[in-house]
Amino acid sequence: MRQTAELLDRVRAALRGRTVAEPGLPYVAPREPGAPGSAQGRIDLFRRKFEALGGTFLAGPAAESVIPALGELLRAEGVTALFFPEEDPASRSLADALVPFGPFLLVSPADIRQAEPPVSAGIQSAEFAIAESGTIVQTSRGGTSLWPGLASDVHVCLLSPDRFLDGMEDCLEALSGDPPRSISLITGPSRTADIELTLTMGVHGPRRVIAVLPSS
Amino acid sequence: MEPRVRHFVRNSEKAFADRQLQVALSRTTAKFLENRAAAVAEFPRFEGARESASRIRQEALDNLDAHLARFITEARKRGAVVHAARDGPEAREIAARIAKEEGVSLAVKSKSMIAEEVGLNGALEADGVEVVETDLGEYIIQLAGEPPSHIIAPAIHKTREDVSRLFEEKLGEPYTEEIPALTRIARRRLRDKFFSAQMGISGANFLCADTGSVVLVTNEGNGRMVATLPRVHMVIAGIDKVIPRLADLPVLLSLLPRSATGQALSSYVSVLTGTKRAGDAEGPERLHIILLDNGRTGILQGKYREILKCIRCGACINVCPVFQSVGGHAYGWVYPGPVGSVLAPLILGLPESSPLPNASTLCGACGEVCPVKIPIPGMLVELRGDEREQGLKTPAEVLGMKAYASVMSRAGILEAFQRVAGVVSALLFKERKIERLPFAFSGWTERRDFPAPAPQPFRKLWKRQRGIRPWTR
Ligand code: SF4
Repeated sequence: MRQTAELLDRVRAALRGRTVAEPGLPYVAPREPGAPGSAQGRIDLFRRKFEALGGTFLAGPAAESVIPALGELLRAEGVTALFFPEEDPASRSLADALVPFGPFLLVSPADIRQAEPPVSAGIQSAEFAIAESGTIVQTSRGGTSLWPGLASDVHVCLLSPDRFLDGMEDCLEALSGDPPRSISLITGPSRTADIELTLTMGVHGPRRVIAVLPSS
Repeated sequence: MEPRVRHFVRNSEKAFADRQLQVALSRTTAKFLENRAAAVAEFPRFEGARESASRIRQEALDNLDAHLARFITEARKRGAVVHAARDGPEAREIAARIAKEEGVSLAVKSKSMIAEEVGLNGALEADGVEVVETDLGEYIIQLAGEPPSHIIAPAIHKTREDVSRLFEEKLGEPYTEEIPALTRIARRRLRDKFFSAQMGISGANFLCADTGSVVLVTNEGNGRMVATLPRVHMVIAGIDKVIPRLADLPVLLSLLPRSATGQALSSYVSVLTGTKRAGDAEGPERLHIILLDNGRTGILQGKYREILKCIRCGACINVCPVFQSVGGHAYGWVYPGPVGSVLAPLILGLPESSPLPNASTLCGACGEVCPVKIPIPGMLVELRGDEREQGLKTPAEVLGMKAYASVMSRAGILEAFQRVAGVVSALLFKERKIERLPFAFSGWTERRDFPAPAPQPFRKLWKRQRGIRPWTR
């Protein structure tokens, strides 16, 4: 307490005689001309941006197209284990529906917490999708675990059509006031360029991100 | 990191002679520049965003007392313990005390330049805490026992062959020149550490005053793990990291990754607000935030306040021809390149860092790329002036510059000088070059020739061509 008070005193002293004292408004850059506007426009833009980052976007009727295609992708990635947050019933039912397309084992997050875990897909509902940058937003609101996007090999994000936003501004506006403990903006897979600036996927987080938008 | 700024010239000579380093630098710096240029070209709002970002950062600094106080209050309200450190030793002491009180024996760390600035790892290790770097580049240089050479890509000075030999020697892994294979080794090795560490350590890219949030921007995903998995999270950040509002983030984030790595957005942006709440599935039970001054209030007060606007994107470093030739280690401190050449004299003191303001060709490229419009070239010139005022230039240098100025500002004298020089030059230097300059200038000709004065000065040629004197049009 004493230290922080002293720090504030030093800052105040340094600013003595300042000219600008009026706190301003948030500076928001103007929108790109031709921003989508419609719900479908947002979904299309998201898809374009997301795919450009190396993401895979699956949309269509769940049972006939999305789930079989997802099953095939996960098998091709060598995935053998699926997990999802306890508090997220939608991702649980997606995992259940995937099992026949396996062999996939439903595991608990604890099974992934080991040095040499099985190749896993973490499934999770996304809170928002940001069209402008192809970003998936996940938060700890409602106690939801961020684990599936954190430590899996493949991250599967379940989207719903009413959660698409134009830009990051809209997302932060929706979450400001009293923000949840953790807001995660995920844009593409985990990557590094630390060796010779050569891009490599999947350092600590998922090497592949799949967005799923099933229609009923 | 023990500053060795004073040895810049000697370090640079070593860097020139280091073939491996020159290979690594040539493989990387061009890529950085290309990526940034492409990202900026694809973003038509870039200039407008720069203007906004510059104003946001300026506003944050001009009212730092209010914003910092707000940040402290909001962060405390949400469960954080906020500490303030006046300088490096105080920061180290606080960090060591936290580790002890929280019973930490293993800590995982995400890349933080401020931790380098205060020498955090050393302080914790001296107290028996194992600190493991988890950013791939930092992990590599930690194994090698070296400091980072770039604020964005700390192992930029290492080739893949270097890394592989290092993993072979230190970890007993088989040699491979495949970069994905090297990355997998690090992933496997570090996973276990994430799960067993009691404390995560990170810096902060931004601190939001209105919500008390800490913002972390990473590509690998290690920052989120460091901030989520261990029981304790310790954040160390300079007081200059404060921004007024969470709502300011979009503009700043539209610039930071584009300027740093050429990405539209980094893979992971985490906005972390307070400790684990009732019903949360995960998150740290304890959150300590150390706010570091270390000379920043002094900078705030003076004519260099604007350097605190810096968002540490590294763009000025990549574009700097001096950095491109000597790499980061030559600068002898955490922040290399133009930003470091301004920060070092202000934080470490000018006598300690006096080579750095001169380690610039004043080409102006750094000022042009800076996403928050910091006038870096002007600051470097200003610092050179301070050097003179503080008596850090040799009397010969000062006298020489005075003589130069008085000749250059008098056309008649200049012309007379040029005539004499032209005649002498025509007699002595048939090859039109001078191989050795005398006295204080001999350094110039150690590795290259100096062009001999032209027998006919430009002014004379001009006069003959146009029949006028250039200065009386
Ligand atoms: S001074 Fe400007 S260009 Fe250099 S690191 Fe800071 S923000 Fe980036």
